[in-house]
Amino acid sequence: MNNRVPKSLPAEIRPSLFSGHDWIALAIVCLTFVIPFTSTNPQVLSQTNLILIAATAALGVYIMQRLDLMSFAVPSFMAIGGYTVALLSMKLQLTDVFVLAAAAFLMPALCAIPLGALILRLKGVYFVLVTFVLTEIVQLLLFEAGPITGGSNGLVGMPAVKIFGMELWDNPHVLLTTCGLAFVSFIVTSVFTRWFRSEFAAIETNDVLAESLGLAAWKYKAMAFSVAAGVSGLAGFALVNMLLTAHPSSFAPMSSVNYITYTIVGGKASILGTLIGALLLVSATDYFALSGEMSPGLFGLLIIVVTMVARGGVVGVVSGLLYRLAGQSPPLKNGEQDLGVNGEKGQ
Amino acid sequence: MTTHSLSAGALHADRIAKSFGGLKVFHDVSFTVPAGGLLGVIGPNGAGKTTMINIFSGRLGLTSGQVMLGGTRIDGRSTFEIAMMGLVRSFQHTAIFNGHSVETNLLSALRFSRRDRSVLERLSPLLDQFGLIDNWQRNAEVMPYGLQKMLGLTMALATQPNMLLLDEPAAGLEKSERANIDTYVKFAREEFGCGILLVEHDMEIIKRLCPSVIVLDGGRLIAEGPPTDVLSQPHVINAYLGGSDEEDSDVTH
Repeated sequence: MNNRVPKSLPAEIRPSLFSGHDWIALAIVCLTFVIPFTSTNPQVLSQTNLILIAATAALGVYIMQRLDLMSFAVPSFMAIGGYTVALLSMKLQLTDVFVLAAAAFLMPALCAIPLGALILRLKGVYFVLVTFVLTEIVQLLLFEAGPITGGSNGLVGMPAVKIFGMELWDNPHVLLTTCGLAFVSFIVTSVFTRWFRSEFAAIETNDVLAESLGLAAWKYKAMAFSVAAGVSGLAGFALVNMLLTAHPSSFAPMSSVNYITYTIVGGKASILGTLIGALLLVSATDYFALSGEMSPGLFGLLIIVVTMVARGGVVGVVSGLLYRLAGQSPPLKNGEQDLGVNGEKGQ
Repeated sequence: MTTHSLSAGALHADRIAKSFGGLKVFHDVSFTVPAGGLLGVIGPNGAGKTTMINIFSGRLGLTSGQVMLGGTRIDGRSTFEIAMMGLVRSFQHTAIFNGHSVETNLLSALRFSRRDRSVLERLSPLLDQFGLIDNWQRNAEVMPYGLQKMLGLTMALATQPNMLLLDEPAAGLEKSERANIDTYVKFAREEFGCGILLVEHDMEIIKRLCPSVIVLDGGRLIAEGPPTDVLSQPHVINAYLGGSDEEDSDVTH
């Protein structure tokens, strides 16, 4: 050690639990509660419903992306959540929205624990393949387990859900239920991913190093898989509640590609990206559907263009532009600012 | 080696062997790193040094033999369990959390090992000397290689280990930066009381720091003792220069 006066450690700056993007996403989801009370336009109600369900389902992809895992299992857990709600309401006459929401979250979350023990050892393309196969298996089970799932007919004629004894039966009320489920899902996802952001970031970046420092990576992977399944289950609840039917076609394996696309195109770094991705692409699907048979091609083209131009997704690009306009460097992964050598800004 | 003599946190490899299929990487290797002690490990490339560190740290299983840390058998346990027992490793190449600041990297090490910030205060002379305080809020990924390497080593020390496994800490460092390794090793032993297993190719560092070394070649322990004695033995010189026929025959297929 030399004789110069040693420098002391800079004071610790504790980051807030939620980032700016989290707050914006939560505020947007909160604002959707206004729509059921102010609009009777079926198109607006239906479109908002679809966007919120898509965004909620895509949160399952977002959570697994914290661990650098691309999950195709979202439709499986949506199906478990959706069919659980349909069975409880039709067979046991349980229609309380809180009970059904708890069941829609817990059932897939519990199913994810043993599944996770089997597949969370996998990484990269192997994890992708196995989660896709899982979705195919669940689809097959939905068709084959006729006595329970109704087979190819599905479970038709669900009663309306109730809140404090009041039936939520018409279009605005159905949207209100979806808004509530989406809000709970966004809150759960935000708190969960931000509370454990250090652990998730370490596993995403360098899981070998994280374990060598004492982190039980499997525990966090299992928790993430379980919570992602639970949130997907809430999306499944919202979907069957909107359709009043639980049908295998609502949980088609290929729909997992849509949820992944919403997350990537919107920007996988924050829940705001998931919401914006769902908002843009569900709206685009609706818009391009007007062009009949050209719609799939136009939709695909939009995905390619946005993905190629916006590497951080739409939210990443817009944030980058705003930081550039403000003369700042973009934040690091945990929302920290790169202050450069000796704390000088703008490296 | 009795359990009593190991209870203070010594690392003991007892007749360990590792094979990958028909390839024996090493076999029948035994040695002890005393608690707070320092043992150098040298040997030519492919001698099994990193494989040994991977086994001790739980990344790989043993084929036979056992590894004890203090009085506890640790082979077969998971990496994080072993780390929580106080045996922590470093990596040959830079090992940091990319995209995060120096501060976040160090705080992650504290969080994962359940240590508090007071450990950083104890480490501050080291952090200052390595230039890490000057780069405290900087994205660690874009720092020079030498700084990243010292950050990785300091993160390992921030877990307050009882035993450190250093896998070629000087690899890739410029000559002027290699003095940092001396500082690091001395600091770890004096300030934290760490035992250290030092795998290194730089013989100057080995001679300066290690009171004792073992030499691995072709999966066998071929010599042990003070570095100056060991490095003058003809079969050790042959192992490094490839002058002996033994080298190839030792790796049994």
